[in-house]
Amino acid sequence: MADPQPPVDSTPPGGSSVPRPSSRAQAFRETLFELIRLDGVRGGLIVTPDGLVITSELPPRFPVEALAALAATLGRELELGSSRLERGAFRTALFSADDGTVFVGGSPVGYVTLVADRNVNNEGVRTALGRAVDRLRGSWRTP
Amino acid sequence: MGLATFLERTWSGITGLVRPRSAASLFRLADQYRHEGRYEDAAELITEGLRISPNIAVGHLLDAYLHVVFREMPAARASFRRVLALDPYHPRALFGLARIALEEGDIEGCRPFLDRAIQYFPDFPEAKALQEMVATWTAPAAASVSTAIGTISAERLRLPPGARDLVLTHTDGTLVFAQGGEERQKQLALHMTQVYRIASATLARAGLGALRRGVVEGASETTFLRSDGGVILGVTLAREVEVGAGLVQVGRLWTDLNIKV
Repeated sequence: MADPQPPVDSTPPGGSSVPRPSSRAQAFRETLFELIRLDGVRGGLIVTPDGLVITSELPPRFPVEALAALAATLGRELELGSSRLERGAFRTALFSADDGTVFVGGSPVGYVTLVADRNVNNEGVRTALGRAVDRLRGSWRTP
Repeated sequence: MGLATFLERTWSGITGLVRPRSAASLFRLADQYRHEGRYEDAAELITEGLRISPNIAVGHLLDAYLHVVFREMPAARASFRRVLALDPYHPRALFGLARIALEEGDIEGCRPFLDRAIQYFPDFPEAKALQEMVATWTAPAAASVSTAIGTISAERLRLPPGARDLVLTHTDGTLVFAQGGEERQKQLALHMTQVYRIASATLARAGLGALRRGVVEGASETTFLRSDGGVILGVTLAREVEVGAGLVQVGRLWTDLNIKV
């Protein structure tokens, strides 16, 4: 058996590099900050289709890695389903439960996932998320 | 800045320009770009790195990740397999193949990849989350809430104008009723069930409880769903229908179908 490697091994040996700010990375962070300021939104993250967390603003008790994996899987299923069933490109979704609501926004960059209170203004958050998704689509076209 | 420092930095810059970059440094920079969302720049570096050193697993892994980002799944699968050819226990490559199998609806194909990834690397929360989710799909049904569905009379249904793709399934994927041809019904039931299952796992992981309502907005239509007692009801309406109004419509259909939990 090969030597064990940590699961997050995408960085080659030699140490990790310090990320430089880029316009697209900045756009991701600003997008998420704007959304988590909405009333009733507890936090959120942006995850790429391969499950990489680009930016996350979740309260400490939330399991970020697990949520990111599930959000990326959910985002892909919503994307594929919309395409297979000819409903146009997937934009946003919300799923509500007894104790809260999860919102997902789809873009070429990845999926914006928000965790919100049960009584959040669904229409308001969905509209804001839709606008954010449109901005992310713009950032995909103009890196 | 002193003259000596200035000369040293200038010399270092010049030699840096002419010195060929190693594959490792290219991959490191590519990974940094990937984290910044600079996928096109990352892709160029990975191509160059793999040209210099075609047998570095991490290069193929990064290549696979970018193919996933660009939704090029056959190419992503090939790159993940190249990683495993170089390192048969690579957890990220196993996880990547598991996710591709999952999105293709190949649950049985997905499971061994997740099991192997966790077997070699037990501290792998992403793989564990998917493993636990998939396990619930095939576990024997627990003593569930019994749900009675009356005889469905299409004439009694108060379908809103423009409504389509009405679908009622059990949460295990068994179709109860759907509009449309046989192939469409099959696709609807499959997608509805998968969305329900993955969304339920996400809500549960966030500690929010069981899924009750859902709204999925596409560019041209919006689908509203309601779930309780092991059944899922979905209907697709015009995109402009607001969340509240759409959920009222699906609630009315729930009543018309005489679903009793």
